[in-house]
Amino acid sequence: MSVLGDGPEVAPPDARRQLEQVMAEIEEEVRRRRLSGDLPLHVEKELDELFVRHAPVSGAGRGIDDVLAMVDRSTFVDPVVPIASQKSGGALVKRAVRQLTLWYVGFVSHQVSQFASATSRALHVIAEELDDLSDRLDAQRVVSPRIIQWQTHREDAWWVDLATEALGQTSGRVLHAAAGDGWLLGRLHAADIDAYGLEPRVLGDGEAGVAPKERTQGVAFDIRDESVVDHLRAVAPGTLGGLVLSGVVDGMSPGQRQQLVELSVDRLTEGGQLLVHSLSPTIWDSELAPPEADLCPGRPLRPRSWEQLLGELGLSARALDGPRGEDYLVIATVRDSGQRWQGRSMRDLRGGPIRDRSR
Amino acid sequence: MKVAFVTPRYGAEVTGGAETGARQLAEHLVATFGWEVEAYTSCALDLISWANVLPAGTSVSNGVWVHRFEAVGGRPKAFFELDGRLRVAPRHASRSDAERWVELNGPVVPALVDALEVSDADVVAFYPYLFYPTVMGIARVQAPSVLHPAAHDEPALYLPVFKDVYRRADAICYHSQAERRLVQRVHQVADRPQIVLGLGVGRPLEGGRRGGDILGIGDRPYIVCVGRVDAHKGSTMLARFFQLFKERNPGPLALAFVGTQVADLGEHDDIVITGAVDEGTKWDLLRDAVALVSPSALESFSLVLMEAWQQARPVLVNALCDPTREHCQRSGGGLWFSSYRHFEAALNRLLSDPLLRQVLGSRGKAYVEQNYEWPVVIERYASFLEAVVERDRSHRKHLGFKDSPLRHE
Repeated sequence: MSVLGDGPEVAPPDARRQLEQVMAEIEEEVRRRRLSGDLPLHVEKELDELFVRHAPVSGAGRGIDDVLAMVDRSTFVDPVVPIASQKSGGALVKRAVRQLTLWYVGFVSHQVSQFASATSRALHVIAEELDDLSDRLDAQRVVSPRIIQWQTHREDAWWVDLATEALGQTSGRVLHAAAGDGWLLGRLHAADIDAYGLEPRVLGDGEAGVAPKERTQGVAFDIRDESVVDHLRAVAPGTLGGLVLSGVVDGMSPGQRQQLVELSVDRLTEGGQLLVHSLSPTIWDSELAPPEADLCPGRPLRPRSWEQLLGELGLSARALDGPRGEDYLVIATVRDSGQRWQGRSMRDLRGGPIRDRSR
Repeated sequence: MKVAFVTPRYGAEVTGGAETGARQLAEHLVATFGWEVEAYTSCALDLISWANVLPAGTSVSNGVWVHRFEAVGGRPKAFFELDGRLRVAPRHASRSDAERWVELNGPVVPALVDALEVSDADVVAFYPYLFYPTVMGIARVQAPSVLHPAAHDEPALYLPVFKDVYRRADAICYHSQAERRLVQRVHQVADRPQIVLGLGVGRPLEGGRRGGDILGIGDRPYIVCVGRVDAHKGSTMLARFFQLFKERNPGPLALAFVGTQVADLGEHDDIVITGAVDEGTKWDLLRDAVALVSPSALESFSLVLMEAWQQARPVLVNALCDPTREHCQRSGGGLWFSSYRHFEAALNRLLSDPLLRQVLGSRGKAYVEQNYEWPVVIERYASFLEAVVERDRSHRKHLGFKDSPLRHE
């Protein structure tokens, strides 16, 4: 096995905080100068247009405030066209044409400017409404679920052989989240199963959670540091042979869980395996539960609830309890696409699936 | 281990970033590991005409076996007409229009694709995604394929024909996290084995001259922009921004454009355009600059950023360019601008704060040493290729193949 790292090492947190501070000061300076009106509006507009002329297709990197500011600067359509010319007499001809047509161009440009101003005002109203909505939603937001670490998240745990056996029958790559240091991937690779992992506890900066160097421990795997939902959105439908979720779904809210399960089912091939390892609700409510349990927006389902949920989605599912009653494993198989879509239709009748923004 | 690279142009005289990346990886694999490496390419040096200026056939260049094939025709006028039409809504282009776009974009080298199909390489690396050899070759290659997209957020990326290219790749090698996010968002290939590798940088080879002497500006401070002087690279915008900056902030500061000139920037007392320069001159100019400015919004990596940081110079980049902005954020080695006003404020801050310049430069230097010096890059890349080959062997074994199966059927 070889090193399949996840990107460049980064500067220490204090360096990045200092950089953010400098950029914030520059932003403040820009704001101050803009208020002072030291740059004519038409010049600023010309410069902004020049700046975005060769911008990326998606216009990445621009916030709504930037875009609205650009709209504002573009609302005025100048009827007085430039008359500079490199040809002798060209400027005179242009000036004459401009004066002759100004009554017409001015009339049209005035109406276009009015329309642009009205559109700009409408966009500002929408932006303010969105801000307000965002503030209100922020107060009611559902916090992200924590990844739960449990003693049976290890290669010799009771459920690992069962998982390996189920996944050995699939075709297509197998994804494990949360992969930790790759403890399950090692077992799957040993069984000749092509697997990779996600470890959302490393959020790209190594600040918290499982440090990339610790998790690789000399035998490295293909482990990415991104969230499961974000990752699945970037995977084509019907691609994965198997998906193992351990420590991921336990503390999810119902909405988060539904979203993840729908995406998971959609990304699996026919015959693909969805394996869910979770703590039992009894342990979750006991003193033995990890501290993260109290910080999660939801609580684990009972095993038979998983069987029902996945059954509704067209999967055949069976739940297996752990020997100490602390945890369980659900093994679900995607049957055929017809059954999958039948399951989806039933859900649609109940209020529709959660929108997959990747489409 | 035998590795084949497929790239539209190949050779030290080619200045394109992707082609240079392919050549350097090939040469470093030979030099570091003694692997057998070959390159499949056209006879062209110019990516507009695809004129066959180099002889067809096989030669050896720095230990790499180079197989050159003649391109059938150049890029005709019809390409620009079709490109103009498709770039308005590339996602909705018809498949036949998109395929036609690839043919017209060139270089059309059917003999290369035929030869590649019977290559005995263990792994084939395609670099970049945009051209005929990659589109046609990745569909027919027998060995496992590694795609180096070198993708920007550009209209062509969204053409339907490229979805197949990405989905056919057995593994993908990215220049940056931003490129990975972009490709995965557009083509949904996150399940593929992948690595964010970047490009390797060599040790600075200075020429021993003062930057101000090279530019003919004596002791005046200057900022530098390295790369093709082209409107698409942001050069026109930077020249205009700098002219206004000087009007509003009089002083001795100059701007040096270092690279082949394609765009006409007009005349300005404080702007020097050197044209193409040798390596020693480039490193001298970088070493003595106040800062490097990267105005381009369309970079997939930006080698010159790394080179500036190797000389411990701070950088100022276009905020719309995710990869360069991300380099700054991850390294803590540079600032970014999203308008003229931000450019002015950031440049004034850099000019007035020598300590900040020093801190940014040293952080950038550390970032390059940690991630992009050749020993680091080539070790990671070789390990990645080995993993891809191993995965393919395991996959074939699993399917019961003894020899090369027909792939991508």
